[in-house]
Amino acid sequence: MLELQNISKQFDQKVVLENIDLKINSGEIVSLLGPSGSGKTTLLNIILGLTRIDQGKVIFNDEDLSHVDMKNRGFNIVFQDYALFPHLNAYENIVYGLRNKKDTASVEEVREYIEFLELKPHLKKRIGELSGGQKQRVALARTLVTKPKLLLLDEPLSALDGVIKESIKERIKSIAKEFGLTTIIVTHDPEEALTLSDKILIINQGNISQFGTPFEIINQPKNNFVKEFILRQLQIKRQNIYNLFGEKYA
Amino acid sequence: MRNAKPEMRAIFIIILLLFFTFLIAPLLVLFFRSFVSDDGGAGFSNYMEALSNNTLISAIGNSIKVSGATAIITTTLAFALAYAVNFTRIYQPLKSVVKVGILIPMLIPTITYGFAIMYTFGNQGLLTKLFGRNLFEIYGFNGLLIGYVIYTLPAAFLLIHNSFKYIDKKFIIVSKLMGDRTLRSFLNTVVRPLSGALGGAFVLSFILSFTDFGIPASVGGTYDVVATQLYQAMLGSIPDFSQGAVIAVLMLFPAVAGVILLNYLEKFNFHYDKFSETELTPSKFRDSFFGAASVIVLLAMLSVFAVMFITPFVTAFPYDLSFTWQHITSIFQSNDLVSVYRNSLIVAVLTAVLGTIITYGSALLNARTPIKGKQTVDIFSMITNTVPGMVLGLSYLLLFNNSSLKGTFIIIVLCNIMHYFTTPYLMAKNALTKMNPGWETSGELLGDNWIKTVYRVILPNSISTVLEMFSYYFINAMVTISGVIFLVSAQTTVVASKINELQHFAKFNEIFVLSVLIFLTNLLVRAVCDALQKRTAIYKK
Repeated sequence: MLELQNISKQFDQKVVLENIDLKINSGEIVSLLGPSGSGKTTLLNIILGLTRIDQGKVIFNDEDLSHVDMKNRGFNIVFQDYALFPHLNAYENIVYGLRNKKDTASVEEVREYIEFLELKPHLKKRIGELSGGQKQRVALARTLVTKPKLLLLDEPLSALDGVIKESIKERIKSIAKEFGLTTIIVTHDPEEALTLSDKILIINQGNISQFGTPFEIINQPKNNFVKEFILRQLQIKRQNIYNLFGEKYA
Repeated sequence: MRNAKPEMRAIFIIILLLFFTFLIAPLLVLFFRSFVSDDGGAGFSNYMEALSNNTLISAIGNSIKVSGATAIITTTLAFALAYAVNFTRIYQPLKSVVKVGILIPMLIPTITYGFAIMYTFGNQGLLTKLFGRNLFEIYGFNGLLIGYVIYTLPAAFLLIHNSFKYIDKKFIIVSKLMGDRTLRSFLNTVVRPLSGALGGAFVLSFILSFTDFGIPASVGGTYDVVATQLYQAMLGSIPDFSQGAVIAVLMLFPAVAGVILLNYLEKFNFHYDKFSETELTPSKFRDSFFGAASVIVLLAMLSVFAVMFITPFVTAFPYDLSFTWQHITSIFQSNDLVSVYRNSLIVAVLTAVLGTIITYGSALLNARTPIKGKQTVDIFSMITNTVPGMVLGLSYLLLFNNSSLKGTFIIIVLCNIMHYFTTPYLMAKNALTKMNPGWETSGELLGDNWIKTVYRVILPNSISTVLEMFSYYFINAMVTISGVIFLVSAQTTVVASKINELQHFAKFNEIFVLSVLIFLTNLLVRAVCDALQKRTAIYKK
């Protein structure tokens, strides 16, 4: 279980996060949802250990990690632009971390990850030769091979188009289920957040606007921001789809 | 955002120490020395003495005159060549020839230019013979002008050529469609967007000519310029350190003003974010005019260097033109000259290896770490860009004259590294800034420490830039004379400074053979680096 207690962060006098307090259960997918500049990426970096906190605590399985180095927390992230190493091929990227800690994953396990992510035909390819979705899966594999205790994903779908988006969405869900992996996702897209996660943390101007399941957010929006920013968008989308297909598909 | 690691701090401290010892301290010593008179008093007496010295005043005037004339000619020619390469539809291979050929002077020491000019335009010169009469008096203004133009043309061309890439050719079409006449269209769509680069080329050519020592050392004659005055003050019959320091400070002024002006001109450059390939409109007149112009400029330049390759292979130029290996073999039999060439190689290799390491480390700290105070490296880079080689060499002489560094290879190498720091530093910084900023974090999460990520990821992805930096340092260390003229000893003489000695004994065959050796060595290093770069490029794809 991941627990954030009263987390605050400022950059040069400017408050970016204020009194963030929440608990995430093991195996849950949680989305951090908010407009750009809301502080959601900062929160992700704080959990990862990349950004220091001014105030508060990060506790994982009853252990206080607030002042533990990023490297020693045992978490891992897939960046929005994947940060794959272009001088190595897909396979070399996937096993990069094994050079440092050989016993993290056995050859057999690596093979399983590769098969699970359907990367076998692409292993010899250079990063430049991969499509967006393939890059995303290579980055996921590279991260999973290190067996993180917590998986962080920064805007995992924003660089992908249409159909690929839906398939990666399913993939992320099945990873969380298959490996019982607590997963935290940053996104600015309400539809993505609500269809992908068990719980959603809506952040606005550094504060928690609402934290709840998709059902709670749709049916009991806590404030105007959730209504205006989150629900309004979904309603417009729904209206557009209705107009295309007709009311009978409601 | 992240915290600085101890290994980053360690590298930073080493770099700071290097720059304080071998850049800041010598320059401060030079500056203070210029205010201390020979009898130990402090004040402006040295400056008063310098300003009442008529030879020096006229030398400054001469330097300004000839550098100004050079800058105008070079900028015009460089523009014509860059225009031919970028904005005409001349025969494609010709463009490649121009792009490569124009860079040839960079591979040869400037002091050689002077002798090449003598052998081309002098009383017995190649062109003099061809035309049957002396074209003009070469010692003095004319010779300097030709030498400086050849010397500054490659740098000015590269600067303008790069800026051409940022001009959107669509504007030419728009301008035509709007009904502009040729001249108006040319001014608005080519000259105006290039004005920053043209100004930059002018300033750059001026500074380079003003501070070069090799060309006036060979073809200057009795026409005094600042560089020869500085040389005479320090290494003449009566060395005068105070006067030397004053002249060096005076030489620094136009350089500082020039760099400030260059930074200011940068604002006039256009930066288009997006531009697409646009076909050029055909024009017979434009293409034939610029095609002919570039061929003429290139041939004129190469004809000056032709003697360098002819003289050593004939018995006695220009009287007996029968082919012989004798000059070549006698040089390789002379221990003296072979050891001088070996010295040059040692200096160039050490400069290239150490220089690349120091420069890459500096750029790495500046571009990819959160270390506090990393902007100081940018300031060092600006200073090294400003200080002329002769001034830096002289300041080393003043500071290290009584230390054990005097007369060693390492002092020459350090002077070269500082002197040529800016360009490779900017190459590395540019390449490193463009790389994905998430690599270090990814590496760390995958179990690397910082050094390991640098070695496993950052370095392999910038290997092409590293090669470029290496060959830049190597070639410049091979050809520089102004930087090292005050620092070489009998044991550490390099080819360029040896040539300066040889001229007093009229040993021109030796001069040309040594120059050809430098040229071929540089060509080889350049070719090897290019080949390696190509390989890494294929490997990347």
